[in-house]
Amino acid sequence: MTEAGTEERQALHQRLERVWANPPGWRSLAAVNHTTIGLRFMATGVVFFLIAGVMAMLVRTQLALPAQDIISPDVYNQLFTMHGTVMMFLFAIPVLEGMALYMIPKLIGARDLVFPRISSLGYYCYLFGGLIILSSMVLGMAPDSGWFMYTPLSSAEYAPGPGSDFWLLGITFVEISAMAAGIELTVSILRSRANGMSLRRMPIFCWYILAMALMIVFGFPPLILASVLLELERAVGMPFFEVAGGGDPILWQHLFWLFGHPEVYIIFLPAAGIVSTLIPVFAQRPIVGYRWLVLAIILTGFISFGLWVHHMFTIGIPKLAQAFFSVASMLVAVPTAIQVFAWLATLWTGRVVYSLPMLWIIGFLVVFVCGGLTGVMLALVPFNWQVHDTHFVVAHLHYVLVGGMLFPLIAGFYYWLPHLSGRMPTRVLGNWGFWLTFIGFNVTFLLMHLTGLLGMPRRVYTYEPGLGWDWLNLLSSVGGFIMAAGIAMIILDIALHFRFGRPAPRNPWGADTLEWATGTPPVSYNFASLPDLRTRHPLWESPELPDTIASGEHGLTDVSHGRREIYGSDAITGKVRHVIHLPGNSWWPLFAAMGLALVCVSLLVRVYPLALVGVVSALVFLLRWSWENGAHPSAALLVHGESHDPPLHSRTTDGPGLWGMVVTLMANGTFYLSLIFGWLYLWTASPGWSVPEGEQIALWLVIASGLALTAAWMDFEGAVRALRRGVDQGLQRRFWRAGLLGGGHVALLLWALRDASLAPTALAHDAVLLVMLVYVLGHGGLAALLTVLQAVRVGKGYVGRHVPYEPVVVRPFWVYTVGIFWLSVAVFLLLPMAWGTPA
Amino acid sequence: MIPGWTHPVHLFAGLVIWSLWFVALYGGLSVGCAVAPPAAEQGALTWLNGGLLMLTLVVTALLAYAAWRCWRLAPAGDAQRFVLRVAVGVYLVSAGSTLAVGLPVIVYPPCV
Repeated sequence: MTEAGTEERQALHQRLERVWANPPGWRSLAAVNHTTIGLRFMATGVVFFLIAGVMAMLVRTQLALPAQDIISPDVYNQLFTMHGTVMMFLFAIPVLEGMALYMIPKLIGARDLVFPRISSLGYYCYLFGGLIILSSMVLGMAPDSGWFMYTPLSSAEYAPGPGSDFWLLGITFVEISAMAAGIELTVSILRSRANGMSLRRMPIFCWYILAMALMIVFGFPPLILASVLLELERAVGMPFFEVAGGGDPILWQHLFWLFGHPEVYIIFLPAAGIVSTLIPVFAQRPIVGYRWLVLAIILTGFISFGLWVHHMFTIGIPKLAQAFFSVASMLVAVPTAIQVFAWLATLWTGRVVYSLPMLWIIGFLVVFVCGGLTGVMLALVPFNWQVHDTHFVVAHLHYVLVGGMLFPLIAGFYYWLPHLSGRMPTRVLGNWGFWLTFIGFNVTFLLMHLTGLLGMPRRVYTYEPGLGWDWLNLLSSVGGFIMAAGIAMIILDIALHFRFGRPAPRNPWGADTLEWATGTPPVSYNFASLPDLRTRHPLWESPELPDTIASGEHGLTDVSHGRREIYGSDAITGKVRHVIHLPGNSWWPLFAAMGLALVCVSLLVRVYPLALVGVVSALVFLLRWSWENGAHPSAALLVHGESHDPPLHSRTTDGPGLWGMVVTLMANGTFYLSLIFGWLYLWTASPGWSVPEGEQIALWLVIASGLALTAAWMDFEGAVRALRRGVDQGLQRRFWRAGLLGGGHVALLLWALRDASLAPTALAHDAVLLVMLVYVLGHGGLAALLTVLQAVRVGKGYVGRHVPYEPVVVRPFWVYTVGIFWLSVAVFLLLPMAWGTPA
Repeated sequence: MIPGWTHPVHLFAGLVIWSLWFVALYGGLSVGCAVAPPAAEQGALTWLNGGLLMLTLVVTALLAYAAWRCWRLAPAGDAQRFVLRVAVGVYLVSAGSTLAVGLPVIVYPPCV
């Protein structure tokens, strides 16, 4: 390259860096860049992993020999509960989310995710929630009912301390981050791919992450609802899970496993994405059966939602229903098998380079296939009954989770380490780390299958000698410590790596995907220019791409306006439709997360006025954050003669915010449907269900409030339709009117609630009704508030004919609010009148 | 040719139908057993099993038909072939899953 070319490239780099760089020092807490946030997620997840690993070692120490009393039963219960909780909620999911947040923009040729501030909010919710949960361990009051918190063991009667509250509030707080990542990743993958990257040209990893993200969107809300209900039961006595009050503890199991089983695949899919990315690189050929893999991913995403009852085979469900879930559980092995055969075929037909990441991939194949096979065994009802709650299940789940997630994760970690550090991993320490972990893992858990088959129940803190479990437990414990030594070796390797690792060449593994065109370590803006793509293997077919990208030979190199910009593309074809202007670094996400943390801690210590302060402050911070949007000077001020080829997204009616709103409402709708499921379940299955006599809520008042809500929505809808046609006359007036009508709806519904004769602490029936009313009220209030804000923004000139975007984003929220209102009236108020009380 | 068949919604439509059928199957069984449980002595020959079997067969046939339609249209343009081929697989597996999961209704009594 000529000297002038180098200088030009350097100048472009500096211009981009001024716009995209993180603030220095402690102010980097306001950073929102996806590389930074992704790394924070992963680093925090690793710390939680090590803490949970130490808990596992304590458990194995206690179980090494029979009749030991190194750890008391109480502490043992806390240890195994926290081990599972931390590993699942604070390590596995967040670390994979972090990896996806880090990787996805680089793989799809974008400079950042579409909602960077939401990533930042998600991280802080994760961090604060994780610290709150772990603090319970330090305080000696950790949850002790097992990681799936079955009622009534976790209810106030059998778990009177605050342990369960730490779990319920902390996990719900952490789940905000999962939901944020799910929404963010879905919209980013669908709407911000490089120009020309159609669905069939997407890197296979993106399909996996898209499925994972959508599974989070649909999978987490049932658990969030269950946690809210159980916390309400524990805090104020609403008997959702108490038979005496008309509740049912089995409802918890349904809601938990509606989340819990898809959760396994939420963890497995991104890990399988790593495998499907690495194998073609090391086999030096494209993956065999790309379409088959896409098919398998889609199948897994759906079928894994139809298995939850196989965790509940022993609770007395009719045999026919068990048969449905047994068959579905076996069927989910089909898409997994498709993937395994595609990987084997790729390896078979390629020229495999057995480097360190491949070692972990092979370890994955061995361990995961074994775990999958025991999974098929557990799908068989009679076998499941025999080994239920034994160490066989513990062995199975560790084979699936460690084999299916940890091994690929470490493979991916070593693979992308040069991307992060600019150095190559070392072979010697890396090999030691692998073999110690692999051998230690199998010694621990292969034998544990046998311990379980010999009848050892899980979660017992000790056992008598002479039951045939002694030597198996001892060897399992020895294996556990060998595995721990392997993990320690990997940590040592990484610590030395950043100082002594050999500098990595560009694209060191000879990969085909775009992340290796970002520079190692990556620059804050990923790509100096955004290329057009016509292939699934850009770096194999155009090895010069990193150079031409860095030289600014492709799109979107102008940053003189000071905005962070990426392409917004068509979800199917990947053709550019507009330019998305992204928000920059901000303190609002941190402040909002602090407000939510205040809510969480206040509820824990039961100082409810303080919780209200937290709610209000979080809401204020979130709304203030939303203020910097559209044509706001800190977003994209409207200027005369700005380019419309392509236009800025806020000048259109179809940007990422609209998609984000729709995906958020999909999650919200799942939450609401879970509530309806709970209502109908209790109605039909709860042994003590009881319905009070007479009309408890004035139906006419509820309907009057609904009419006000519907009128408000129609007004808003009319205004948005006019805006879409380019007419903004009377826009502000209509928004004010819609907001006020929405306020009228809230007032009427509050009146109905005040006059209602509900006894929510006595009857599950009334408790569910109250939750429904509060849910509907919250939505009506928020819709009105957002509309009033829109009215004010119209007055400021941030919204209008030339900037029609925001009302279009708010519109689905109105549709949803009106929809759930009338559905609630039908299902919660009218249907019971028609149905009556079951015998 | 129906242009709608090449729409990406067919990448997952079969499984959405499968999911709705699954909810109807399990929900129908549960509500049926709560409202009007057939006697255990009747074995699998009950109105409830019959209804669930009919539903299963209808949905299986619908999904199989959709798979056949996508298969027939597959030699379309390059971009569309991807959607159509994956859609064939999705519809076929959905049909197979529907039949496999639903078939136990011919064996077991519903509410025992």
